[in-house]
Amino acid sequence: MDNLNENTQDKKPIKLDTIDVTPIVAALLLGFIVVALYVILRRRSVGRRDFLLTGLCEAGKSAIFMQLVHDKLPDTFTSSKENVGEYVSGHMSGRLVDIPGHYRVRDKCFDLYKRNAKGIIYVVDSVTAQKDIRDVADSLYTILSDSATQPCSVLVLCNKQDQTTAKSAQVIKTLLEKELNTVRDTRSRKLQSVGDDEVNKPIVLGKPGRDFEFTHISQNVQFYESSAKEKQLSHLTDWIDRML
Amino acid sequence: MLDFVVVFTKGGVVLWNSNESGKNYASCINSLIRGVILEERNTESKYFEDDHLAVQFKLDNELDVIFAAVFQKVIKLNYLDNFLADMQVAFQEKFGGVAATERLGIDYEFEQEFRMVLSAAEKASVKQGKVPKAMRSYNESQKSKKTVASMMQDDKKPPSVGDKRVNIQESPPPPSKSEPMTPPRNNSDIIAENRRKLREKLTPTKKATMDSKPFKATVAAEKDRERAGKKPRVWDLGGNSKDAVLLDRSKDAPEDQQLQTINNELVGTMQGSIRDLDVDSSDDSDDDSEEEEQQQQQRQLSQKKPKTGGLLSYFKGIVGAKTMTLSDLQPALEKMRDHLISKNVASEIAGKLCDSVATSLEGKQMGTFDSIANMVKEALTQSLVRILSPKRRIDIIRDALESKRNGRPYTIIFCGVNGVGKSTNLAKICFWLIENDFNVLIAACDTFRAGAVEQLRTHTRHLNALHPAVKHNNRTMVQLYEKGYGKDAAGIAMEAIKFANDTKIDVVLVDTAGRMQDNEPLMRSLSKLIKVNNPDLVLFVGEALVGNEAVDQLVKFNQSLADYSSNENPHIIDGIVLTKFDTIDDKVGAAISMTYITGQPIVFVGTGQTYADLKAINVNAVVNSLMK
Repeated sequence: MDNLNENTQDKKPIKLDTIDVTPIVAALLLGFIVVALYVILRRRSVGRRDFLLTGLCEAGKSAIFMQLVHDKLPDTFTSSKENVGEYVSGHMSGRLVDIPGHYRVRDKCFDLYKRNAKGIIYVVDSVTAQKDIRDVADSLYTILSDSATQPCSVLVLCNKQDQTTAKSAQVIKTLLEKELNTVRDTRSRKLQSVGDDEVNKPIVLGKPGRDFEFTHISQNVQFYESSAKEKQLSHLTDWIDRML
Repeated sequence: MLDFVVVFTKGGVVLWNSNESGKNYASCINSLIRGVILEERNTESKYFEDDHLAVQFKLDNELDVIFAAVFQKVIKLNYLDNFLADMQVAFQEKFGGVAATERLGIDYEFEQEFRMVLSAAEKASVKQGKVPKAMRSYNESQKSKKTVASMMQDDKKPPSVGDKRVNIQESPPPPSKSEPMTPPRNNSDIIAENRRKLREKLTPTKKATMDSKPFKATVAAEKDRERAGKKPRVWDLGGNSKDAVLLDRSKDAPEDQQLQTINNELVGTMQGSIRDLDVDSSDDSDDDSEEEEQQQQQRQLSQKKPKTGGLLSYFKGIVGAKTMTLSDLQPALEKMRDHLISKNVASEIAGKLCDSVATSLEGKQMGTFDSIANMVKEALTQSLVRILSPKRRIDIIRDALESKRNGRPYTIIFCGVNGVGKSTNLAKICFWLIENDFNVLIAACDTFRAGAVEQLRTHTRHLNALHPAVKHNNRTMVQLYEKGYGKDAAGIAMEAIKFANDTKIDVVLVDTAGRMQDNEPLMRSLSKLIKVNNPDLVLFVGEALVGNEAVDQLVKFNQSLADYSSNENPHIIDGIVLTKFDTIDDKVGAAISMTYITGQPIVFVGTGQTYADLKAINVNAVVNSLMK
């Protein structure tokens, strides 16, 4: 009995010394891993999960937004504020932001959301695209040349295909490429603005010395047709689902 | 009578509408949003006209929705203000509990409430037409729905002011309007009068001394009202029996009482308490009516807010969710207004901007950690950015390329008051265009000021020296079209454009004589110049040093361009050149004043004396130095 007691007493201090270190290290490691995982996951979930609906006034952004998020097709007017909603597909979800198209508000609003943008949907009114090509190209160029949007995928959605006079996606693509070439030219000759704004200097798009093509730029640009009025948005939903 | 009533979010989604005529009013509402709400002009009136239609609207900042009613312009509907307010209350009551994220998702069944509110509003307006029944129906309505009650209160307030004034001047008792309630009051008045007479008889001298004190306030008030003529001073605790006439309220009292009762139509409820008072009756009735109003408001409030759990509401009281009212905002706005004025924003514009901020914040929920000053600052920054952001694309080079492709020159006309730097900045813009490979024709249409043509000739020579024809495929980059002094400017400009067209010149810059905005003949000739030549761009040149004068200049320039042009669609100013920007440090208010008045963008900014000192405006930099 005495021996036994002695044995146990002898073992205790040894045990304490050897075992004490490993569980602490293990616990610390585990804790560190958990924290790291949490931070990584959090950053992933916070950063870049938005899909921005941009484009000029009356292209049909709000209508598409309402269809995707609420599955309704109400009348819409000019937006003076952005609409934000959760787009759910299966068990995945992303945030859909409808940026107003009016000149007075859109730049400010776009600046607010561009850093979290994963995908940008540029909605074009296919009926008036040819007439308004200068405005369409100008605003598209502003979006594409922004340094914050370089990692985004871009979808140019040619809306209002239900109308008979609507241009096809291919035609709009050629029109836009031609016009963006001119815009790139005029932008390079633009006056410097008051106050130093060197920090976020816009990027010159495409390959210098060659005509502008969508394949030249860092964003992946795709063209699809749609009609919000006749609920033909499958291209758009497929595109978003692929990115989720 | 209302063609179209709609509730839509600020995001532009229609939540609910009622369309009587079946027509499409989207364009009307769109022009309301673009012309008023996005331009920060929603203070001037909540009323907007478009073609033959008129729109009255109301913003709800708590739910972020807008209520708008469209009707024919020819019909004057005076109940719309109250109607929209009631509709807002009813809407908040029904849908206020919906979470912000689900607001777009749910269906809005509002037809029944809408009908009720509308019929109530119509009834009220009819009642306003024929007041006789007012008092009785008021009592009835008090018992009925609170929306009606709130409306009655609002309805009766404005007329009360008018009544008061009238009644002060003419003493004849009750107008026939309020006949149903005259008998009891008359009786009581007689009693009160008799009592006073009796007292006067009993203590004729004492009265003056004794009563003067309690009457002091009312006498002073009366004197205030009758400031028109100078009156002998009446000292407190002084006077003699002669003054008794002045201090005698026997004639005054019923009048005052009556106007109070008419104002509030509360006579029925006040009967008991007022009867006994004979000294301070008017004051008391005042108090009473105030109390009544307060009670009513409380009643309204309690009805408005559905009772939540005691504990929850207790916490809600502590933890934020405070709604901003106009009176909360006022001090902060006042400060902001002064700040803007100190930055050289025209005072009129500063006031309008602050009002606009107030309307956009009123009724908004405030978080726990938000201070009003910060919210106001944020909202103001947002409005300023919105005002300075152009409402259309400005890309002169692109447009010039387009007209070059169409084989015609791109024409820009410069106008402005004297000495702001029209010719100097024209030369700078000319330099910029040459650098971008356009050849330019300068039309010297300032045929008035001595040396104007010579000045342009010197510029032309300099610019040609800087960009010799040899460098540009033997094209002369800049030419001057001059016809001496004292000729008709419009004619010279027209010839210049024709010359440019023939010789394939890309851009024509037309320099005009400086003119004061009040000089009618000169403004007429400018209008003619623009009408005849139909330029692509009319630029107003204004100096950044200008303060309050900016408003007058731009308003009058725009006005006369519109008035003196016989065109149906006159070409008014569509861009601004802001000069002498280097001289003002951070007092950049003129930029705001000018863009706010015209709604047009600042296309160029002149920042110095050399040809290269031409810049574009940076909205964020300007707003930052404004809010600093």
